[in-house]
Amino acid sequence: MNKPKHDPFLFRTEQLCKLYPDGQVHAVEDVNITVRRGEYVAIMGPSGSGKSTLLNLLGALDRPTSGEVYIDGMRLSKVRNVDRLRSRMLGFVFQSFHLLPILTAVENVQVPMFEGRLSASARIARAKELLDLVGLGHRIHHMPQKLSVGERQRVAIARALANEPIALLADEPTGNLDSVAAEGIFELFARLHREEGMTIVLITHDEELGRRAQRLVRMQDGHIKSDVFSARRRLRTPLPPFAV
Amino acid sequence: MRFYTFVLKNILRRRVRSALTVIGMAVAVGAVVALVGISRGFERSFLAIYQREKVDLIIQQRGVKQKLTSVLDAGLGKKIAEVPGVKTVNSGLVDFTSMDELGPVGVLVQGWEVDSPMMRHLNILTGGRPLEASDKNCLLLGERLALSLDKKVGDTLKVFDDATYTVRGIFKSNTVYENGGMVVPLADLQRFMGRRGQVSGFTVTVDQPDHKAEVERIRHAIEALGKNLEVTPTIDFVNSTQEIVFIRAMAWITSAVALVIGAVGMLNTMVMSVFERTREIGILRAIGWGRWRVIRMILMESMVLSLAGGAVGAAGAVLLTRVLSNQPAVSGMIDSYVAPDVIAQGFLIALCVGLLGAAYPAYRGAQLLPTEALRHE
Repeated sequence: MNKPKHDPFLFRTEQLCKLYPDGQVHAVEDVNITVRRGEYVAIMGPSGSGKSTLLNLLGALDRPTSGEVYIDGMRLSKVRNVDRLRSRMLGFVFQSFHLLPILTAVENVQVPMFEGRLSASARIARAKELLDLVGLGHRIHHMPQKLSVGERQRVAIARALANEPIALLADEPTGNLDSVAAEGIFELFARLHREEGMTIVLITHDEELGRRAQRLVRMQDGHIKSDVFSARRRLRTPLPPFAV
Repeated sequence: MRFYTFVLKNILRRRVRSALTVIGMAVAVGAVVALVGISRGFERSFLAIYQREKVDLIIQQRGVKQKLTSVLDAGLGKKIAEVPGVKTVNSGLVDFTSMDELGPVGVLVQGWEVDSPMMRHLNILTGGRPLEASDKNCLLLGERLALSLDKKVGDTLKVFDDATYTVRGIFKSNTVYENGGMVVPLADLQRFMGRRGQVSGFTVTVDQPDHKAEVERIRHAIEALGKNLEVTPTIDFVNSTQEIVFIRAMAWITSAVALVIGAVGMLNTMVMSVFERTREIGILRAIGWGRWRVIRMILMESMVLSLAGGAVGAAGAVLLTRVLSNQPAVSGMIDSYVAPDVIAQGFLIALCVGLLGAAYPAYRGAQLLPTEALRHE
């Protein structure tokens, strides 16, 4: 992989553009954004503003129409095995959890680990450890449908952490949760950031929760409208020298 | 959790679809195993007739592929016996006859010299005996034919234009055709067939059957006795017999049709299965799975389903063959034994069809970008 020795940014984009499948409208257009290691970034904006598209492009789930994405200094368009990069560096959390209904909580958490080198017993041990971390150590053998929606999202977060990623990307992780469950999930993200130094980029519609992130990026019509550092929380790492 | 556990859970989750796939594959594999098995059984039984007597060479009329239509002068037997190296010579006449009790199914009738080694080597069941020169209008019944006709030693039956014959013995052969047929004195069959002084052919054993050059020399020496003689080693004769060639071809053609149907069914099921799970594949890709992992999952699922289909199909084929071989309508024509290599062949075919059927869906699933798959409803 074409990794430079000193890139201060975990994520960096250059003139990032993505056209919708019809090829007429830009989902994101000329977006330049950087995210440092250990940063906690919330992205907000109305529906169709391009925030999910941006998250997918940052997470190598999609390919840009033009422009570049760099992850930990690696230019994605030049990375031969994007799957491996995604597996080893990034964890994803979705609004609808996307747990596999045939598997228990502890089995769901193990699914990403098939790509790693852990033995079957080590996978189980790690999955239990992660479920403990998200506060579900007592429900490891429950099927998803036997868990509350908040608990399901916790399982999904544990699954996202399975391969020890350096960043969590979450697309409206509280969109399907009530306010109490949403609060719990945000607390969990905050703790992961605070205690594990996890880089977090999440999308939310909740203004109050969005403001709790270190940095709040607002998008509109495929462009970044504002990018504001929140003084309420101290950063673990210095802010980027510029805000785009 | 192990990867194969995950694969098995995926299969068990879609019980109806999995069951239908297994059934589809089972029908295809079952058809192949049953048809090829029957064809092989036919071939094996045919060969066994000659192997029992350790026949080395078979002599027929040149250019005739069907034993029934071969006509040779019975007097040639003496000349053949005089060829140096020839141990024994047997002559025989073969025909098929129909019997009211058995409907349209033909019954194999063999006309043998009553003092021939073949007659002496027949395994006559208790209560009966081989035919002798003094016997008039007597015959021997194969075990299965006797059962179908409900005849025992001493009973009479009408054959050849209502001639009444007495059952002198019931024999058990290890070939299904003989078991389903009858043996009469050669002279009787010649008379009824209007072929006095004629036989269908001769079988020859030689003194040194393992000496290939010697066997070849005897073959040429016998052929030199008459230009209408065709002398063939037993195995070559069986392989080139018109009936065997025809049955083999039919078995493979019908098997191929069954296979194509099975493969199309498998492909359809796997494609539909992957289409239905496009979103799930997107999730698996998004949470860290690479393309090869998705391909492995789909191929492994397909392999498990194929092998299950193969097992059900092979078991069904063995059962079907047994049931069919006991039916009076085909009595004496189908061997109930299905060789293990034919079953293994069925499994191999199931595996290949399963892998081929899953190849495209696996490729397609793996090529999707995670976001494309996640958008899929």
